[in-house]
Amino acid sequence: MEKWLGVSGVVLILVLGWTVWDASQEEWEHYQQIYYREAVRLAQKRAQMEWATHLRTEIRQLQLNGQTIVERCVTCHLGYDNPAFQDFVAPLRTHSAILKSHSEERFGCVVCHGGEGRAVSTLEAHGQGEITAKPMLKGKYMQAACYNCHGLKTLPPQATASVVHGRQLVNQYLCLGCHKIDGEGGEEGPDLSTVGSHRTWLWIYAHTARPQGVVSGSTMPVFSLGRDEIQDITIYLMTLLDGRDRVRYLPLLAKRVVREPPADPPSASRRRDDPESRAVASQIAYHYDGKKLFQGAGCSLCHTIDIRGGEVGPALTYIGRKRNAENLERLLKNPEDILPGGKMPQLYLNDLQIKELARYLSMRQ
Amino acid sequence: MIDLAAVYNKLSRASGVVGQLPGRFYRSIFRGSYPATVRQQLATVVNNLVLHVHPTRVYARSIKPQTTLGLGLICFYLFIIEWITGIFLMFYYEPSTGAAYGRILDLNYAISFGRVMRNLHRWAAEAMVVAVALHMCRVFYTGAYKPPREFNWVLGVMLLVFTLALSFTGYLLPWDQLSFWAVTVGTNIVSYAPVLGPRLRFILLGGDTVGSDALLRFYTLHVIAIPTIAALMINYHIWRVIKDGGLAHPAENRGPEGEAAGQPQRSDSVATTFPQVVYIELLLFLVLTAGMLAASLLFNAPLEEVANPLTPSNPSKAPWYFLGLQELVGYSAFWGGVGAPTILMIYLFLLPYIDRRPVGIGVWFARERMVMITVWSLILVGIVVTTALGVYFRGPNWNFYWPWENWPGPH
Repeated sequence: MEKWLGVSGVVLILVLGWTVWDASQEEWEHYQQIYYREAVRLAQKRAQMEWATHLRTEIRQLQLNGQTIVERCVTCHLGYDNPAFQDFVAPLRTHSAILKSHSEERFGCVVCHGGEGRAVSTLEAHGQGEITAKPMLKGKYMQAACYNCHGLKTLPPQATASVVHGRQLVNQYLCLGCHKIDGEGGEEGPDLSTVGSHRTWLWIYAHTARPQGVVSGSTMPVFSLGRDEIQDITIYLMTLLDGRDRVRYLPLLAKRVVREPPADPPSASRRRDDPESRAVASQIAYHYDGKKLFQGAGCSLCHTIDIRGGEVGPALTYIGRKRNAENLERLLKNPEDILPGGKMPQLYLNDLQIKELARYLSMRQ
Repeated sequence: MIDLAAVYNKLSRASGVVGQLPGRFYRSIFRGSYPATVRQQLATVVNNLVLHVHPTRVYARSIKPQTTLGLGLICFYLFIIEWITGIFLMFYYEPSTGAAYGRILDLNYAISFGRVMRNLHRWAAEAMVVAVALHMCRVFYTGAYKPPREFNWVLGVMLLVFTLALSFTGYLLPWDQLSFWAVTVGTNIVSYAPVLGPRLRFILLGGDTVGSDALLRFYTLHVIAIPTIAALMINYHIWRVIKDGGLAHPAENRGPEGEAAGQPQRSDSVATTFPQVVYIELLLFLVLTAGMLAASLLFNAPLEEVANPLTPSNPSKAPWYFLGLQELVGYSAFWGGVGAPTILMIYLFLLPYIDRRPVGIGVWFARERMVMITVWSLILVGIVVTTALGVYFRGPNWNFYWPWENWPGPH
């Protein structure tokens, strides 16, 4: 009896140890350590050095709208306001100049980029985790976010070109023959007036490309659309929000935050082809689970592996027999390159994610 | 000059005092040394607050695994796990419709051990529903509810109801689509009761729909009202076990008059509570805790998007333990919402007062009780089948789908 007590006691201690280990495996700590080390290295003045050495490893967050909106993106994206990190790779890279007019303390990050602001691991924060969240708006898709606040009038035409084109396509293909948008249109299909709030851009893309592949038994016809057309229709549909999403960020506009300038941040800049910066880039590499990425990045919405997944694109159960990792990497990076005129969307994944995903798929043989 | 010898003496005296501290501390709690003789072991049980809920000796068969399968103890331990993890979750949770979901996301994403604690709370709750049901089946199949244990059975049925109520009230708290629509469906089932139904639903929700009042009500019920009553009743339930003569014994273990003896007789094959029973209880606790914790590290508790009263999820399903009822509601609102649960409850409460024949007590599946066992098993199969239908075979609009079939409509 005592023997079994001892054994199970040891097992419990091991499981407790596993619990602690599990909680200590934080992706963001990894990025913060690299950032702090680089910040100290790049510091040129005494004040900068002092600033950099006093940085603490901690979760950082922006609290907006009287603290009801919490965004922890800056826990990993540390260099966003530090010009010294201009030529680093994500997540440490400096934010583009648009931050000057769109202060993060006033607007936060999610209003433009989408994703899950409360999360602090890449997959979850970027809307690719287990818990349903919206995949981030990247590349051209960010036009939807610009348009949602600004409308068409105050923006230069190229900033909302896809939204305008998408709306033209919706008219051209007579979508309103079956669907209703803001009270106009047919009754055959679902009302699309708030589709941007209820669906992710990936879902809309997949459904537009081949409705039956996402919704089995759908009576919507398959239109022979090109990649860019599907993309622009998706971007336009992402601007159709419900009242709750429309007003979510309005209070932010009312409150003006006077932002303290960062305490004389280091100004030295570093080229990406510089060997030291390349070394940092390889350290930033964090191991992504290709299988989780496949689920999380939305691949399974269109593609089947084994028995689970959508039927918009081809099944990928044995894709490794057809394409090698290098070919898959090129395909994921720029689908037009490998599949010209196809429907596979540009997913805007980062290099590390593309590498892991390609490796995972190339092993499906 | 420093007198080294004096310093050494002083130090060694001081270290002697310090060295004795652990022993003194231990003896201040547990008087006397480790109980080696049987007499001391019996005294240990009587003198210890925690242990004295046990008899000093039990029948040797009582501690064999196949006698009870340890199910009652598992229920108790799961309740303790719920209590501890629940307090942890309460540190972070805020029962308002604006903040609740964000707090749950924080637990999942940012709070140290938040995710594992939430998982543990969720899985232990689901395990508790299963364990309580299995415990009840064990008591039925071994005829342990027969006189003199009728009232403890009634207490047990009430604890089953409390377990379901705890689980159901906790279901709403994450305030995601899953919980919102499950509770909407669950409370709709309540409203099918004649006359009182809609009023009962109104009282439960503090309104006509699931809103901020419902969340506050469910929270209060979940974290203070029901746990307190359940904890008191669990104490009573366990205390009654000794007062009703310990575990149900087969006929050959009874006293000369045929009635149960409170304590094993000298002639019976016995085990002392300390250390044998205590060891088994400790072992079960260690194994259960390690198992639940490992499961919580491996599997995440479900969480969907934030509750949106304007877009129902389709299908909207009640929590799985009520899906049998929801399945019945699909055929007949009255029978699913009122008829079946009422009859089942009446059956459970009256069972020990109707089935009083003192046969098959303490024996699994006694041949003399075949009729009762068949009736119970049929009811059990009915509950399992309807629940499985609801969980695995129902898709949008409550239509039938095989588990491997794709549901039409958005998914």
